[in-house]
Amino acid sequence: MGKRIVVDARGSSCPGPIVELSKAYRNAAVGDVIELWATDPGVKADTQAWAEKTKNKIESIKEDQDKIIIVIDIENR
Amino acid sequence: MGKLSIIMFSGTMDKFIPLGVLSSAASALGDEVNIFVTGFALLGFMKEKKPLPFPDEFKDMAPALEEGMKRTNTKSWYDMLKEAKESGNVKIYVCSLMASIFNLSKNDLDPIVDDIVGATTFLTQAENGMVLFI
Repeated sequence: MGKRIVVDARGSSCPGPIVELSKAYRNAAVGDVIELWATDPGVKADTQAWAEKTKNKIESIKEDQDKIIIVIDIENR
Repeated sequence: MGKLSIIMFSGTMDKFIPLGVLSSAASALGDEVNIFVTGFALLGFMKEKKPLPFPDEFKDMAPALEEGMKRTNTKSWYDMLKEAKESGNVKIYVCSLMASIFNLSKNDLDPIVDDIVGATTFLTQAENGMVLFI
């Protein structure tokens, strides 16, 4: 089992959440899971584009009251 | 990974914001980024900083823009570029013709600038990648 890394990018606007995500990704390993918290309205589409390009898998996208939570399986490093 | 090359030509603040955003997003995607600074964009890359002007037609909106950037924690274009440079493969080149015209050497430029190069170097670097003119 890999690590679960929470990236709290709430309150950060485009492209902040993806910059934070890519920083965490740099220190992640295959098998890790990154959980991205964000409030920027572009983050769902942007994270999907990022995952497609970096060949990683979006496990789930959830919206709760104050944030969007995107869970990404790191399958490629 | 891909490659984004930006010809940064405009010297007004409104155009520097997308420079920062696009460079930082491309760098987060793992892309190589080359920025070729020419024309009045040179103003943003001098060692001695002066505030960049807004174009006259948008001057009235400048305070709302600045207020909104603060409220949304948007970094300045300079900080976005600096951060992208620190974590990715981002290079900033100043056009050698403009440097000669204004009699500038690397010493007169912001340390964020990697080198002074000619158009041929930039075009060669940009080959087979995406190119934007701002």
